[in-house]
Amino acid sequence: PFAKAQKGKAYFKRFQVKFKRRREGKTDYRARIRLTNQDKNKYSTPKYRFLVRFTNKDIIAQIVSASIAGDMVLASAYAHELPHYGLEVGLTNYAAAYCTGLLLARRVLKKLEMDEEYEGNVEATGEDYSVEPGESRRPFRALLDVGLLRTTTGNRVFGALKGSLDGGLDIPHSEKRFAGFSKDSKQLDAEVHRKYIYGGHVAGYMRNLRDDEPEKYQSHFVEYIKRGIEPDGIEEMYKKVHAAIRADPSPKKSEKQPPKEHKRYNPKKLTYEQRKERLIERLNALNSAAGNDDEDDEDEDDE
Amino acid sequence: MPAGHGLRSRTRDSFSRAFRKKGTIALSTYLKTYHIGEYVDVKVNGAIHKGMPHKFYHGRTGQVWNVTKRAIGVEVNKQVGNRIIRKRIHVRVEHVQPSRCAEEFKLRKKLNDKLKAEAKARGEVISTKRQPLGPKPGFMVEGATLETVTPIPYDVVNDLKGGY
Repeated sequence: PFAKAQKGKAYFKRFQVKFKRRREGKTDYRARIRLTNQDKNKYSTPKYRFLVRFTNKDIIAQIVSASIAGDMVLASAYAHELPHYGLEVGLTNYAAAYCTGLLLARRVLKKLEMDEEYEGNVEATGEDYSVEPGESRRPFRALLDVGLLRTTTGNRVFGALKGSLDGGLDIPHSEKRFAGFSKDSKQLDAEVHRKYIYGGHVAGYMRNLRDDEPEKYQSHFVEYIKRGIEPDGIEEMYKKVHAAIRADPSPKKSEKQPPKEHKRYNPKKLTYEQRKERLIERLNALNSAAGNDDEDDEDEDDE
Repeated sequence: MPAGHGLRSRTRDSFSRAFRKKGTIALSTYLKTYHIGEYVDVKVNGAIHKGMPHKFYHGRTGQVWNVTKRAIGVEVNKQVGNRIIRKRIHVRVEHVQPSRCAEEFKLRKKLNDKLKAEAKARGEVISTKRQPLGPKPGFMVEGATLETVTPIPYDVVNDLKGGY
């Protein structure tokens, strides 16, 4: 060895691993403690989190409560379900986040039989809307859990938040981070926010590309063109999706059966016998290659 | 200068976190619920500075008498002079663990209720009292061979062989 070993036995003996989800970089425990901590004098009353996560191609929205056995999901909605409601493309934009939040809210309220009482904001105007308490039950309260996102103004996670608020959930929030809030005037421009909710920003970009750079337009908006979606028809499309979501938010069961054999994603561990056989094979292969070079007659067939 | 007897004096080791268990506190501490009358152990978590009990109560067990937003009221026995006082302290939940001292009793209660109900269904009268272990039963020793030992008559000549 030419480099001094930095991490010796003593290092490993004293090394304390962080929690698994911290090592994976997926959970912010400081935030999690504060979100799930319930007042002790409320005993086992669940404290629900409105959890929103974005992957590269999907949006996940869940209502989750924590327990020692593991978090319990009350209801969940994914952006990949939106094709059932008529939205096929642009599944991770601000408007799709709004739809996913709306879908989750209606689903939860339907599950708890509160959907008649709490309609929420049927016509999305982009203004700040908070649920009013109804007659019989208090509105469903959840706390927004963004995970590890940077909460900048106009982030899609607040699109999902707006969707849920308009769907009828009670989530403490401020309008400071909605798209269309201007730092200078310290006010939310409802028009701009409404544009984002109905995909106006995407439509604008489509129009720009179509007029200025047709090739880029063809390559970038392939799926839109394939389905014949025009920039002017985008708002209508989203209006229809919202209506479809409100009409029937229940999840659709898929027809697929789970595969009988569970697919393996890592190689299977060999037994001791198998490893010995592999070793013999490799030694033979090595020696036959060396034998061809040296023309030696070495027999290293180990038992 | 003298050592001093402050609130947290002599707690260097008892209040320190365990080896390789420092840092973030596991969520289960916060998710446990406590009801009045349950037994809890007081064990100080040195990482949480609020709601710490005095070092005397570290390692004590008491009953819960109050539940507030973030803390538990625990009633602990303390000997003061020639009597024992029931002291009531408030402790944040991070410094408290559910005690297992009453676990065996609770399980036995449940089991006995079940046995009594079954016996009632059968029409028998059973005693669910615990009996202390009696003397062990007699047993035969395995692999024993008898060796009879008798004294041999005293032999003067042989004994004096050593030297006289």
